[in-house]
Amino acid sequence: MKLKKESIGYVVIFTFVVCMAFVVLLALANQVTLARVKANQQYASHYAVLKAFGLADPETSRDEVESSYSSKVKELPEPSPGLSAYLSTIGESPYIAVKITNPGLWGPITAILAADPKAERILGLEILDQQETPGLGGRIGEAWFTDQFKDEKVGTDGKVSVSQGSGKGDPDKENSRADAVTGASRTSEFVQTLVAKALSAVKEIGGSL
Amino acid sequence: MSPTRKVLKDGLWTNNPIFVQVLGICSTLAVTNNLRNTLIMVLGVTFATAMGSLTLAFMKDVMPRKVRMIVTVLIHSFYVIIVDILLKAYQPAISKQLGPYVGLIITNCILMGRAEAFANANKPGLSFIDGLANGLGYGWVLVCIAFIREFLGFGSLLGIKLVGEGFTPWTIMVMAPSAFFLVAIFLWGANTWKAKASQGGQKK
Repeated sequence: MKLKKESIGYVVIFTFVVCMAFVVLLALANQVTLARVKANQQYASHYAVLKAFGLADPETSRDEVESSYSSKVKELPEPSPGLSAYLSTIGESPYIAVKITNPGLWGPITAILAADPKAERILGLEILDQQETPGLGGRIGEAWFTDQFKDEKVGTDGKVSVSQGSGKGDPDKENSRADAVTGASRTSEFVQTLVAKALSAVKEIGGSL
Repeated sequence: MSPTRKVLKDGLWTNNPIFVQVLGICSTLAVTNNLRNTLIMVLGVTFATAMGSLTLAFMKDVMPRKVRMIVTVLIHSFYVIIVDILLKAYQPAISKQLGPYVGLIITNCILMGRAEAFANANKPGLSFIDGLANGLGYGWVLVCIAFIREFLGFGSLLGIKLVGEGFTPWTIMVMAPSAFFLVAIFLWGANTWKAKASQGGQKK
């Protein structure tokens, strides 16, 4: 029996076959690249931890990142679910980094923040993952923004304020503030909260070392 | 003029998706404050439109009319997700920068527009060229707008700083309103030019 092209039977069979074919092809492509994607994610995390500790920069090769990570960074037991902690000794001093995920405007923001165990001064901040508005809030991942937190003194309230400024980056490392991204004040507020939470986690871990 | 040349000229100029069909405006507003993101978006849209139109033209004779739109969306989603998977695996840095952009290509009206207006009624080869021409027609307008917005908004191109510290960035250029008036200026300029050209042609 031959089905007519517009009959219900044909439509159902055609749609099912086409959906199955494309889904199988996508699943195949996903499966083939899965190991590579996971390796990329792991590398991105290792690089961000080292960058936050000031032990890597964009010039550092992938091999150097992996060898530095295994020799200089110690993964600490998870202080709480969803929070990862790392320890590194730079010079004679120990420093702590935490990987923290906190809400953003459109989705979670995952960042790595490194600081001294008393959380008095930030060593570095790296944004690992975010879904903020491209071109506006999405600019929190740019170097001019994250570099503002490098060596920044933490305020007595345990915060670094992220407020409207020139939009070019605040160079003062002693004023416990950073310039917000122009046109993305809500995202900047979320970063301020994330940094405060990360500093509180560092302080807690530092106290138990 | 050969059909291939006509299809190419239509996509790039005569029937340009931005200033004649007025399609793909959402992404024009969203991505053009950064030239690098614009280029990746253009490549993604061009690939998805060309390959989507090609696949659809192959399938059009066996596809029931009732489900043609849902199948068209499925085909475009397939190509866009393939681009996303490949970027994640082989260009993770670009994939990270683009974030949600890639997935948004599926909703670009040019893809559905060309599928409905051309690929549903033409041969696969010509449909592929139509998709390619429309992707590139969309692309050159976007690149022009992104060039102006990134240069005036950040004082840079492709992220490379081109002006000194004394330059005051035009903050409005980074934000969505600037794209509205730049697109409008492009629409006005291109349509005025085309109207004058057709009047000149008639006089002759």
